[in-house]
Amino acid sequence: MSPARVAAAALALALAGRPLAAQSDSYAVPLAPTPAAGAARGQARLHYAASPFGIAVTVDGRASYDLAITLTGLPAPASLGRYGVIVAWAVSPDLSLWQPLGAVSDGTTTLGPVALNKFLVVISAETTAEVTTHAGPVLLRGYSPSIWLQSFITHPLFRGVN
Amino acid sequence: MRWLRLAAVVVPTAAAAQQAPAHRHDMPGMAADSMAMPIPMPAGMKMLPGLVGLLPGGGAFLPGAGLDPGGLPLAQPSRLTRVKDGDTLDLTAMLARREINGHTFAMYAFNGQVPGPLIRVPQHATIVVRFRNHIDLPSTVHWHGLRLDNRFDGAAGVTQAPVAPGDSFVYRVQFPDAGIYWYHPHVREDIEQAMGLFGNLLVDAPDRDYYSPANDEQVLTLSDLLVNADTLIPFGREDPDFALGGRVGNLLLVNGERGYALTVHRGAVVRFFLTNVSSSRTFNVSFGGAPIKVVASDASRFEREELVPSVVLAPAERYAVEVRFERPGHYALVNAVQAVNHYRGEFEAAVDTLGLVTVDTAAAAPDYARAFANRRTNAAVAAGIAPYRAAFDRPPDRQFTLTVQVTGLPLATVQFMSIDTAYYAPVEWVDGMPDMNWLSTGRQVRWIIRDDATGKENMAIDWRVRRGSVVKLRIVNAARSFHPMQHPIHLHGQRMLVVARDGVPTRNLVWKDTVIIPVGATVDLLIDASNPGDWMLHCHIAEHLGAGMATVLHVE
Repeated sequence: MSPARVAAAALALALAGRPLAAQSDSYAVPLAPTPAAGAARGQARLHYAASPFGIAVTVDGRASYDLAITLTGLPAPASLGRYGVIVAWAVSPDLSLWQPLGAVSDGTTTLGPVALNKFLVVISAETTAEVTTHAGPVLLRGYSPSIWLQSFITHPLFRGVN
Repeated sequence: MRWLRLAAVVVPTAAAAQQAPAHRHDMPGMAADSMAMPIPMPAGMKMLPGLVGLLPGGGAFLPGAGLDPGGLPLAQPSRLTRVKDGDTLDLTAMLARREINGHTFAMYAFNGQVPGPLIRVPQHATIVVRFRNHIDLPSTVHWHGLRLDNRFDGAAGVTQAPVAPGDSFVYRVQFPDAGIYWYHPHVREDIEQAMGLFGNLLVDAPDRDYYSPANDEQVLTLSDLLVNADTLIPFGREDPDFALGGRVGNLLLVNGERGYALTVHRGAVVRFFLTNVSSSRTFNVSFGGAPIKVVASDASRFEREELVPSVVLAPAERYAVEVRFERPGHYALVNAVQAVNHYRGEFEAAVDTLGLVTVDTAAAAPDYARAFANRRTNAAVAAGIAPYRAAFDRPPDRQFTLTVQVTGLPLATVQFMSIDTAYYAPVEWVDGMPDMNWLSTGRQVRWIIRDDATGKENMAIDWRVRRGSVVKLRIVNAARSFHPMQHPIHLHGQRMLVVARDGVPTRNLVWKDTVIIPVGATVDLLIDASNPGDWMLHCHIAEHLGAGMATVLHVE
């Protein structure tokens, strides 16, 4: 099985094991810390990228969002190894695409746009802010609200949970 | 339409839900069983088993019941009608035959034309329009976006009584602002507008340099029509059907026809005036990769012209865009969106070709390449907005919440909505579940504008402001409801600025009369309440309006 399929399967398992509540905020991406950054907390908020139409979409109709990423308790990058900066990424669910968004720090940083139908937001430590390939430890991660668009077979009703 | 988890909702009893819509129709002019046709479903999807055999309650309606469409006059394309200050125009709503996709339908037309006559008029003119209603429903004419005398706004039940079939009404129509506007009935828009009663008003500014130079101008209406093979899907006679998501057609039309075609010379710059006249569909159109510059919207030019990849139009919105066709060849006018497949839990690209622009090898003259490359800053627009900036950041004067209540929907609909996919798309671009949508009517679905301060809803809201005041209105489109959906909110007779969305200030302002509010979003509007009278504010999804989603702003 390819790494991408393994990752997709892992994501599906993570979703299946999580209580499926009505997703009432189409724009919030809670960010959960990994053990590498246990004290970190964060959330990304999706805003349509600037557009004369009020809502921004690509030519093929994908929503285009800026991400206002708010973080606290980030570790110093150097405390994790030879890293100099914390970087945010938009990542396709199968992990095949990592779109670097730019450097982040404690506080709110607005980055983007991101025009993926479904995506993960990943915060990692990297050597520089200009990296194009993810290499450092992941500190936080979260799912776009659209990740919750799943086939009905993932619904608790069909998993014996009510 | 989505499937949704039950939230703040009036939950129907199972018995009521089972009883509700299982009526057979006695549709005039058609066999009763003809209403039992399955409505078109998205590819690979079938009607829910629990819904098979059910029909929307309240009877069915199609124009020209009992008439042979072949005996009706064939609708003609829109013709340019130039008028000047003081002129009088006759406008007749009538039955007409339309040939669409090789099929013949009895539908409506203004003066025998679809779209209705393109009325081109100088800014600041006043004209008289003698409207005659020769269709089989009461009707009016609403002059969408115009800041005219309240008596002539055409809002049935607010500014005038509906014009009965065979009767007439005289409108006095003023044009204080330049740009692209449109007219349509304000009675059962879900039927009358969808069946062809719409037309554009193109208001010319005295300034010849108001827009950049262009080699051609095209006025296009975008709409859709719901058919099953050679049959129109009937409308709810007493109340709108498709009340949850609005009627989304499966034939996309430009100026009421399939297959729009335009031929231009190489390098031509074409200014398109686009109007979304559909009941519910939001469009995302582009021109085969040709660069698009957006220059104006509902009621003014933008502060700054911008290059855009595509043009997003919610129902009733207008945009003026300039497109340069640099090289010879074919440029497809397409509507490209991301549909939601609820069964597979995936987004799927949905692309419809609306037409084709053919660019020949002869060079366009004059060559406007340089003017097209220049993105204007419209100082006059910014200067006109400047006096309002002081109010941008002040607290809202009013806050409305948009939501919905349902009762008596089919049990299968309620059950399946309760096991939704846990995701609410901010914008529904297509109807993902037309069977459930079709079976929801205005009797079962009540769309709501709620005044947060008083709790009053829709027409019970007492909203009064003084003439000349600047009103900051915040509208929240609640995500937690039975069926959250985007709403194109239209305010009659005034102009407004969208000063912020979800707290993010708008960087490039334009005067609007219709604003799209996605699910879960908040918009801050600044209303220039300069025009006295009683003015409707409502959702321009025709079925949502028909299901109650309207209130009135009283400007005293």
